[in-house]
Amino acid sequence: MSDVPGFGKALVIITGASRGFGRALALEVAARVDATGSVLILAARSDDKLHELQTHVTRVASELTVRCVTADLSRKEDVERVITVIRETQCADIDHLLLFNNAASLGDVSRYCRDFTDVDEVDSYLSFNVSSALCLTTGVLRAVPRRVGLTRVIINISSLCAIKPFASWVLYCTGKAAREMMFRVLAEEEPDLRVLSYAPGPLDTDMQLQARSSSADGCVRSACSGLHAQGQLLTCEASVSKLMKVLLEGNFTSGAHLDFYD
Amino acid sequence: SGERKDLGRALCIITGASKGYGRTLALQLSCLMKPRSVLMLVARSVDQLNKVKEDVRALNDGHKKLDVRCVQADLEKTEGVEKTVQAIKDTSSSEMDRFLLINNAASLGDVSRSALTFTDPAEVNRYLSLNVSCVLSLTARVLQAFSHRVGVPRTVVNVSSLCALKPFPSWVLYCTGKAARDMMFRVLAEEEPDVRVLSYAPGPLDTDMQLQARRFSGDVKLRQSFCSMFSEGQLLSCEESGAKLMKLLLDDEYPSGAHVDFYEL
Repeated sequence: MSDVPGFGKALVIITGASRGFGRALALEVAARVDATGSVLILAARSDDKLHELQTHVTRVASELTVRCVTADLSRKEDVERVITVIRETQCADIDHLLLFNNAASLGDVSRYCRDFTDVDEVDSYLSFNVSSALCLTTGVLRAVPRRVGLTRVIINISSLCAIKPFASWVLYCTGKAAREMMFRVLAEEEPDLRVLSYAPGPLDTDMQLQARSSSADGCVRSACSGLHAQGQLLTCEASVSKLMKVLLEGNFTSGAHLDFYD
Repeated sequence: SGERKDLGRALCIITGASKGYGRTLALQLSCLMKPRSVLMLVARSVDQLNKVKEDVRALNDGHKKLDVRCVQADLEKTEGVEKTVQAIKDTSSSEMDRFLLINNAASLGDVSRSALTFTDPAEVNRYLSLNVSCVLSLTARVLQAFSHRVGVPRTVVNVSSLCALKPFPSWVLYCTGKAARDMMFRVLAEEEPDVRVLSYAPGPLDTDMQLQARRFSGDVKLRQSFCSMFSEGQLLSCEESGAKLMKLLLDDEYPSGAHVDFYEL
C-alpha cells in the first residue's frame, strides 16, 4: 500500500500518450493507482513509442495492467477501436474512471485566417481535435456507465488558447475554444460526471518547438522563443503534478477551466 | 465614427439570406446602401432568395438603383463557397466605399439529444464543417477577393449567440460551433487590424430556428423556457434585433473581435 494519495482502483485512458504531456501523465498516474485491479490504456499513433512507454511503466508499477492501442483518432475506425478495447477490459469494482483527452495538434501556425481557404483542411483539423474528443468521450462513458461508488472524471487538456486569441493560431485557438464549450455542455447535462478543462501552461515539448519555430506572427513567435530562452517553459512533470493535485483534491467545479498558473 | 447615416456605396454579402434573420438584415441593409451598391444574397433556395430580392426592390422602389444579386449556394460544400466568391469577383468592386460580409447562415443541429448520444464523428464533422470550417473558408476567400484598399473599410460580422458563451443542455453542437466561431473571429481581429470584426448575438428571435428550439430541445427545462418566452411574447422580432446591428455598424465603435449581445445595447 502506498502513502501517495491516489485514485484507488482505476481505469485510466490517455490519448496522445506516446510523448510530451501524455507520456508524463502516464508515468505519474501509474504511480497513483492501485496496481492490482487497475488498468492503464495508452492510445497514440506510434506503436514503438507506446510499447517503450508500456515497458517503462511496468518497471515502475509491475502489477499494473497496461494496454497499448495504436490509433489515429482522426479516423473513426480507430476511435471505435479504442472504445472496443475499453469495453473488453475487465475492471469490476473500480473506484475511478479517468479519461485524459490529451491528443491534439497545433495545426499550421505559419499561416493566417485569410489563408485558410480550403474547407477540407479545416474539417480535417476539427475532426481530429474536436469531433474525435467528443466521440471518444461519449463512447467511453457509454462503455463504463454510471454506478454507485464509481467516480467518472473527464479531463480536457486545454490551453490559454481556449480563452485568448493568438495571431497565426486560428486552428488551435478555434479547436480549443470548441472543446471547452463541448465539455461545459457535457458537465451541464451529466451532473454525476466530473469534467475539467486543464490548461497545462507552456510546456517544453515538441508542440512548443513547433510553436516557436513556425508561428507566422512575430510577437507570438518571439514570446515563445523568449519563454524557451529564459528557461520559463514548464516541465511536463511539473504541470502533471499540479493536475494530479487538483484531481485528487476533487474540489473543482465540473466544466471549469483551470490553468497551471491559477 | 460619428453620425454616419448610411453605409455609402457598399458591397454587402449576407449568407442565409432567404428567410429569418438574414432576410431582415437584407431589407434593413438595403435602406442604408447608396446607389450602385451591390447586395449579394446567398442561400440554398433560389426561389426564396428571389422573393427577398423582390421585397428589397419594393422597399427601395423609386429611391435608388440597387444591384441585388441572388447566389444559390450550399455553403456546406466547397463548390458553394467557390460560387459565392466568384460572384463577388464578378462585381465591379473597384468603386466601393465599403465591404461588408455577414456570416449569418447556420444550423441548430439536433437539439433533441444529449451530448452522450453523439458517438459518430461523421455527424459531428458535418455539423462543424457547415458552421465553422465553411465560415472560415468563405471569410478567407472573400477577404482575399476584396483585399485591403486604403480608405475602404472592410467589416466581417459573425452572427453569434449567447450559446457561444454559455453552455445549454442538449445543445452541444450549436454551443460548440458558436464558441468556435467567436474564437475564430477573435483571432481574425488580432491578425487583421484593417478589418472590423464583430460577433453579434441577436437575442432570442422569432424565427424557424427558434421554433425548432422550442419544439425539439431534449432538455425539458430548456424547452419549457423557450415555450414561455414564446407564449409571453418575449421573443424579439428580427427587425428589432436587426436595427441594433445596423446601429452598431453605422456607429462603428465596437472593439474589433468583440462579442456584443442585443441585450447589452
